[in-house]
Amino acid sequence: MKKQHATVRFCGIAGDGIVTSGKVFSGAAADMGLDVLVNDNFSAEIRGLGKSTTDIRVSPTRVRSMGDGIDALVAMSVAESIPEIKDITEHGFVIFDCENDPDTRKEHGLEEYIPENLGSFAVPLKRLSNENARSTIARNIVSMGALSYLLGLPPDIFTELIDRKLSKKGEKVVQRNVDAFMAGRSYCDEHYGPHTTLDTPKDPEPKKLVTGNQAVAQGALDCGLKFFAGYPITPATTIMEIVAKELPKLDGWMLQAEDEIAAIGAVLGASFAGKRAMTSTAGPGLALMSEMINMGVMSEVPLVIANVQRGGPSTGLPTKVEQGDLNIAMYGGSGDSPRVVMAPTNAEECYSGIQYAFDIAERFQTPVIFLSDLFLGQRTEVDRIERRVERDRSTRVKPTNDELTSYNRFADTETGISPWVIPGEPDALYSVTGLEHSETGNPNFDAQVHLRMQEKRYRKFETLQKELPKPQVIGDLDAEIGLSCWGSVRGAVIEAMDIAREEGVKSKMIVSMMINPQREDDFRAFFESCKEVIIPEMNHSGQYAALMKSRYGIRPREMHFPGVTPVSPRKIADKIKEVQNELATETPRLAIV
Amino acid sequence: MNLLQKRHVLQSFERAKATKARKHRDTLPTWCPGCGHFTPLQALYEAMEDHAIESKDFVLVSGIGCSGRFPFFIKGFGLHGLHGRAVPIATGVKLANPELEVVIVGGDGDGVGIGGGHFPHAARSNFDLTYLLLDNAIYGLTKGQTSPTSPMGMVSSTSPYGNISKPLNASTMALTYGATFVARVFSQDRDECTKLIGDAMKHKGFSLVHVLSPCIEFHKTVTYDSVQDEVARLPEDYEPTDRVQALVLSESTDPIYTGLFLKEDAPSYLDRVAEVRKQFEAPVIA
Repeated sequence: MKKQHATVRFCGIAGDGIVTSGKVFSGAAADMGLDVLVNDNFSAEIRGLGKSTTDIRVSPTRVRSMGDGIDALVAMSVAESIPEIKDITEHGFVIFDCENDPDTRKEHGLEEYIPENLGSFAVPLKRLSNENARSTIARNIVSMGALSYLLGLPPDIFTELIDRKLSKKGEKVVQRNVDAFMAGRSYCDEHYGPHTTLDTPKDPEPKKLVTGNQAVAQGALDCGLKFFAGYPITPATTIMEIVAKELPKLDGWMLQAEDEIAAIGAVLGASFAGKRAMTSTAGPGLALMSEMINMGVMSEVPLVIANVQRGGPSTGLPTKVEQGDLNIAMYGGSGDSPRVVMAPTNAEECYSGIQYAFDIAERFQTPVIFLSDLFLGQRTEVDRIERRVERDRSTRVKPTNDELTSYNRFADTETGISPWVIPGEPDALYSVTGLEHSETGNPNFDAQVHLRMQEKRYRKFETLQKELPKPQVIGDLDAEIGLSCWGSVRGAVIEAMDIAREEGVKSKMIVSMMINPQREDDFRAFFESCKEVIIPEMNHSGQYAALMKSRYGIRPREMHFPGVTPVSPRKIADKIKEVQNELATETPRLAIV
Repeated sequence: MNLLQKRHVLQSFERAKATKARKHRDTLPTWCPGCGHFTPLQALYEAMEDHAIESKDFVLVSGIGCSGRFPFFIKGFGLHGLHGRAVPIATGVKLANPELEVVIVGGDGDGVGIGGGHFPHAARSNFDLTYLLLDNAIYGLTKGQTSPTSPMGMVSSTSPYGNISKPLNASTMALTYGATFVARVFSQDRDECTKLIGDAMKHKGFSLVHVLSPCIEFHKTVTYDSVQDEVARLPEDYEPTDRVQALVLSESTDPIYTGLFLKEDAPSYLDRVAEVRKQFEAPVIA
């Protein structure tokens, strides 16, 4: 059987080598020139019997989401794998361990759960590992051999990859792993024969892989990040780890602070001193930072906060995805506290977006909250990033000589942006404060001054709105059904729109990395061109939909995915068809009120 | 105000007018007449003058409270931060631009109450910062509530039956946390205050100047008179080099010692940062 694309799932417990399996399979697929998307799903415990799975979706064409269902399950443990079987699509298969040979596999316990329409491949993973690698540790490599054979993939790219990854550990280790891999292949060749043939490009161009968190860190380093302060928190820690290693090489520094409050405080201090500075965190950390973010709003100091969302509320689900932090990003401050909120939708936007976040923060002297999420931050995807390295990049608005003669740190200008002198530069001295203040920066609680300064702080956002790039409109422009989404859901929505189109229903989508402010005219025009609007997002209450409703007065069809696992394109496609069906048969509701 | 206080305020005023340090003054302080904070402010002006610190290179970071308004009273760059967060903010300023002279001013509530979690880390890391902790053992700006350094038994609006928790001792804490410069001074002692603040600014690494600064408006028990009766200078022959000895003397309550408890020469955080970065510098070819 031939297949265009496939999703493989490795399932097991800690110690089964699930992460390594994912890395080897995705790395080999990328070397074959396939497009790749990897999603890891771990429990929050380091050891013990925590279950972990890794999904790898591969295709000769672009992979935009994890799709629906899986085509192959590699079951490294029994109990954990049983509930995964239901996710296997038609003509899919399971690879599982049998102690000695296929005849005794019944005792192993998994086979009785495998429906007849699925391929069932018992392979003595532990025995072959023992025979070839002198321990059971290479059982995941044996399973890789079996999997590559059953999918009709050539062995050389896998063995080359094993050689590359393990060469540091010596020739013997490489040879044992290659032997284990080949043993898995020959076992399947002897007992079963190939199952599927996966399409691979004729002249493969090996592809590099990247995660969203890596892209955020690299983007920041490339546009002049000089100082980073942070506190470890899943799933944002990798950003901190990368900059800890790289910043000292670039005359910068990463400070591991005692808590998130200190981290954002140090970032505010470094920004005040004129350096490009940032922090990264997740929901609980963002909650702790909210007072300092407000300080950034009031004292007009740039802050860049990369928040990698995880399941909430409270400590919540540290290793599962959710888009639950939009409200706290938008509104998590005392008083009227405008802030920029951005949400990248893929690794490229993690890179270009964080650079844009620095440009905005510095030019408009404002906090920018950059909302990534666990799925986007940790998943591995093909690196399509166009590097832009400008380590001396600055968008600071400096005063003219005239403005310097009677310098006011918070000069009330037409754009709302006050020219900015940094400490150490002569001819202007000032103090900033979280108290309301006049243009000079001195505390002032007069009603007129408060009104004027509030207007100034909000005016910056009007200026920014005019400078923003246009939002993306994707799909069939003449469609009656429009969608809007934010963040990592975008890939699933595009795939859903393709599925719906293939099944006869056209739709279109508006999406922008900019959540606040937003090019409101473009959004309004888009919504007015739709008969119905669908807003899918990964949370329970519909936070983005609520924002769209209040901002544009629309009445969208909301789809709330509870998080934990990425969004299903099939469900969105079904919704598009369902709504189209209603439009054809019923009197439509008014989408705009 | 008693006669002693009045004389002290008048003297300060006269001397302030006479010195060149006057040029460091900015807007007039908003404190109550006779407030203990006037002395460290004046001492800071004079220390800046003594050590030729230029206003453009001077950054004062403060927290919230009566002492928090320092930045507005002194010429330089100022950051009136959040309650308890002056230390991390100042850390960011200094690490971003080591050329700047960064001084932190905060009160007891700010430093060992709400900000108590930051103090140990600034001290152990030996950040190049000078911390003036103005300790009046009360929350003054909110009109007289019990603070973390208030004596046991103190009656206030938030401890109407008397304070039942032991007070913290900021000098001892700094010594325990590993600070490399720890001094205590009574705010009436202006010359000592000027000298210690100057020495603290010159010190490479984290320095604490713990200023006993009475709140004349709200504190009924910790007053100029009571502190005057309790304090004594460290013995003449005391050498500020032994941390354990410093701890013993800093804990003494009868008398409460003032002076320089400890001065230790150790690499500052910035020295260590430079050490790490050195391995990445391109080798110089002769």
